[in-house]
Amino acid sequence: MAAAESPSAALRRRDLCSRGIRLAGKMRADVVDLLDAYVEQQGLDASASAAAVEGVPLAAVERWDEQTGTQRLLENLAAYRAFRTLLAQMLEEQREQLGEADAGLGRALAAVLLQVSAFAYHLEELLRLESRGVPGEEGDEEEEDGPPPPPRLSLFEQKLRGLGVLRELAQWAVRSVRDLRQLAKPSPATGAAPGLAESP
Amino acid sequence: MFSRWNWVACGFYLVLSICSPDASSGLVQSCGHIIPESPVLALGSNFTALCILNESCLDFGNIYASQIIWKIKNRVVPKEQYREINRTVSSVTFNDTSTLATPLTCNILADGQIEQNIYGITVTVGLPPEKPKNLSCIVHQESRFTYAMTCTWNPGRHTFLDTQFRLRYRWPEQIFPDCIPKDVNNSCTIDDSQFFVNTEIWVEATNALGKAVSDPLVVDPIDIVKPLPPQNVSITSGLLPTVLQLVWENWISDAVMTLKFNIRYRIVGDTNWMEVPPEDTASPRTSFSIQGLRPYTEYVFSIRCMKEDGVGYWSDWSEEKTGITIEDKPSKGPPIWRIIDTSQSPACWTVHLIWKALKPYEANGVILQYELTVRDKSSLSSPVKKYNVTSTNYTLQLREGTYEVTLIARNSVGPSPPSVLLIPASNSKAPVKNLRTLPKHDKLWVGWTAPNNYVLKYVIEWCLMSSSSDCIIEWQIVLGDVQGIDLKGIKPFKCYLITVYPLYADGQGSGQSVKAYLKQDRPSKGPTVQTKKVGKAEAVLTWNHLTVEEQNGFIRNYTILYKTIDGNETVVTVDPSKTEYTLSSLTSDTLYTVRMMASTDNGSRTGPDFTFTTQKFGKGEIEAIVVPVCLAFLLIVLLGVLFCFNKRDLIKKHIWPIVPDPSKSNIAQWSPQVPAKHNISSKDQMYPEGSFTDVSVVEIEADDKKSFSEQDLKPFDLLKKEKSTSEGHSSGIGGSSCMSSPRQSVSDSDEGETTQNTSSTVQYSTVVLNGYRDQTPVQVFSRSESTQPLLDSEERSEDHAGGADSTPQRQQYFRQNGGQDETNTDRPCFERTKQITHANEGDLVGFVQLQISGQSSQPLGLGMEKNTQEAAVSDVLQACTEGQTVRPETVEENPLSVDEMPKSYLPQTVRQGGYMPQ
Repeated sequence: MAAAESPSAALRRRDLCSRGIRLAGKMRADVVDLLDAYVEQQGLDASASAAAVEGVPLAAVERWDEQTGTQRLLENLAAYRAFRTLLAQMLEEQREQLGEADAGLGRALAAVLLQVSAFAYHLEELLRLESRGVPGEEGDEEEEDGPPPPPRLSLFEQKLRGLGVLRELAQWAVRSVRDLRQLAKPSPATGAAPGLAESP
Repeated sequence: MFSRWNWVACGFYLVLSICSPDASSGLVQSCGHIIPESPVLALGSNFTALCILNESCLDFGNIYASQIIWKIKNRVVPKEQYREINRTVSSVTFNDTSTLATPLTCNILADGQIEQNIYGITVTVGLPPEKPKNLSCIVHQESRFTYAMTCTWNPGRHTFLDTQFRLRYRWPEQIFPDCIPKDVNNSCTIDDSQFFVNTEIWVEATNALGKAVSDPLVVDPIDIVKPLPPQNVSITSGLLPTVLQLVWENWISDAVMTLKFNIRYRIVGDTNWMEVPPEDTASPRTSFSIQGLRPYTEYVFSIRCMKEDGVGYWSDWSEEKTGITIEDKPSKGPPIWRIIDTSQSPACWTVHLIWKALKPYEANGVILQYELTVRDKSSLSSPVKKYNVTSTNYTLQLREGTYEVTLIARNSVGPSPPSVLLIPASNSKAPVKNLRTLPKHDKLWVGWTAPNNYVLKYVIEWCLMSSSSDCIIEWQIVLGDVQGIDLKGIKPFKCYLITVYPLYADGQGSGQSVKAYLKQDRPSKGPTVQTKKVGKAEAVLTWNHLTVEEQNGFIRNYTILYKTIDGNETVVTVDPSKTEYTLSSLTSDTLYTVRMMASTDNGSRTGPDFTFTTQKFGKGEIEAIVVPVCLAFLLIVLLGVLFCFNKRDLIKKHIWPIVPDPSKSNIAQWSPQVPAKHNISSKDQMYPEGSFTDVSVVEIEADDKKSFSEQDLKPFDLLKKEKSTSEGHSSGIGGSSCMSSPRQSVSDSDEGETTQNTSSTVQYSTVVLNGYRDQTPVQVFSRSESTQPLLDSEERSEDHAGGADSTPQRQQYFRQNGGQDETNTDRPCFERTKQITHANEGDLVGFVQLQISGQSSQPLGLGMEKNTQEAAVSDVLQACTEGQTVRPETVEENPLSVDEMPKSYLPQTVRQGGYMPQ
């Protein structure tokens, strides 16, 4: 696949990786800032523990260095699509709870949401360059529609879940930077198929 | 225009809609309508409208499409543009919508040619929007986390229609809400721009005639960011006096972008910025140390940033911050100079040492004091004197000699290098040459040619010259390789005296001076001229020099302009060094107006007019006229006097006619042989009744007895005793004689007796002046109391003479000299003169009675005798001196007739110095 990659595609890929890395970096910085604002705004303790967020792949993974590029892209895409949904939900809940009282937090959430969307777009573009089909979200929605809707959470649970989403997003941002850097290396590591084949 | 049309159309439409069946539900039924209804048309296109009549109106009012008239704003549209489609439809066509106006109405001529309006529409004409061009965007950082993207574009031509612009942007799979401009049509701001994703941005313009879309702009907003400048800039001093450290905060995180910086700085008060080399600050940082600064100098700093890769925009400059470097030792010694005052005594100097404070970049701190050292080089034994001074001058009293002055400035860090000034006993070295000045804008350039010897430094002194105050000296020291400097702070139109001294290693050259102006003007006033002296044809003009404040430049010349009232003006140019000028060739007795003009290189100024009148006569003319006239007058008078003198007898005759003396008539018969006593007795006999008055003679002061012999004195005494002795004298009436001023009048006769006896007689008297030698002659008054009728005597005299001319000759003065001949001094001389005159006339013999003092007369030498006449009569006098004094006696007893008198009178020669008694 790599051999068949045209120079323009290589440039495009490198550009996408570069932007993706910087976007992920900014996203992490913004999320970290948002976390502080969120904790303070929601009246939470920074040390409060939050359970794992359902539907979001864990950023921490074993044998990360053995993953293929495509695998990395797919996992990242799945994660950010999940974050996009969760952040949209958080933004909705935020508006319901605080109205226009704290527009700053809402704007920051919306900005992070946009960055998540942008990063997902980067991943999709990279997957297209990999000549891989982009998995559709509809299937996911169907899958999500399949299981029963999540139970209605209490306000505190919503806050804790929001805290968990942001923390996980911060971790994913770090991982995404590493993944894209790995992808950006001009090495045959893009042998996604072997890697993918090797992946468990 | 369109809005007005709309307004009119709306009003019209309102009226129509009231009439229309749809709107009014049949209140008034309309007979037709126009298609299209209120169209919006493109400017320049063609347009066709249809007017459709209702069928009901056809039957009711008998109106058809052929009767339709189209109007544009009450102006009938030409029928060539009409077309009757059928009996109920009429169309009108316009090839160019620019000719349209609103409203467009459909009218009909009903019965009796009455025009009725059927329907009307509003026509709107405009242009479709143009494609927006030149779309560009910039992302402004508004806070630490917010970025606003502002895009601008060129909206294109005016469309005359309501046109909406909207800015649209999207990611490939996400479209964002449009940005709709507010109040403008060429820019819009997106508040939440997202970085690191290529965003497609475009502008859409839409109106009733169409829609236009700009070319899309695909850009990652991070590449068009204009960040906020670094914040919280602070400056700290380092350990070195030439280093300051700048610290700041960046308001954009490295996650968003990494930055590079520009740092600029300047000295406080200076306007020129210096910049740290960009390559030194091309990497992300939050501090920087600036080196190469001046010690103890306050600097202003400012910083800006942009994305490290240079894509995007520079931020604005940060707020300016100031910092000051620490002190260092002064970098050089103060320039020092001296002014020597020798007015008290040439051997005792008052030396004013003056120096300039170091410039801030030379002082490198606050100068705490100056250390002054004076060493007498002419005397090795003299101690070195040291002074600590806080001001910039010091005055010393020194004896004439050579001194070396050293000056050191000290601040808190240390001393400066020393400045050395050598004060020689005399400025005997070579001066500079070819000293010259040249104005350069607001500076005055002073240049010179260096002497042949090596010069260490030059001192340039200059001062503003003033007539009212002393010259305040400013000075400057330049190095020896300099041969010209610009003097700053020079005022225009002011005279400066500039002096340049060369300083050698072993002495000092004499100063060369030049006067200069930065800029010249014409004098502020003209000279006041006046006359010093005015003559007939010339006038001496004087004036004072203008003061240096009034000159405003170098006075190149004075110009004197003078003229008469009606004459042409004459111009004379005068050297500026003069204060006096003589105008010549003037017209006498003429009023002149004169004024004076002083000229510089840049113009002239004329002083006040002065008038003067030349004199009518020149110097000496009056004298030349008056003196000759006076002299002529005097000459005439003198000639007249001489003439009168010469003709005095003639004049006298007319004025004082000679009264004949009766006694004179008798004297001719007097014989000298007759004894005096006899004569007396005879006289008594002749006038027995005493009618004849004795002649009284008083002789005064006959002192010189020696010269008189006894014989002489006897008769004299006798005469004195015998008052009866008479002497015939006739000198005029009243006892006054010609030119005599008797001091004493003594009458020997008894006057009272005389008065009694001669009540009817005429008295004659003679005053006889007599003197002896150099003594004052005695005046003798002889009085005659003759009773002879005067007229008879005169008549006889005249008859005898036969003419008036002979009368004086006959009218003899008979004098009886009571003294000796020697006594005849002054008085006789005058008489003698008369006699001489007579002698010249050749009528002397016989009648002239000369009374000559003989030998004594000569030594007397009276002035009167020195006239020329004396010589002429010298022979006569010589002859006279041989004889004795003639004493005519009045012969009373035998009076002779007049004719007989000369014959009987013989001059008697007497012994010299003697007297012959009669």
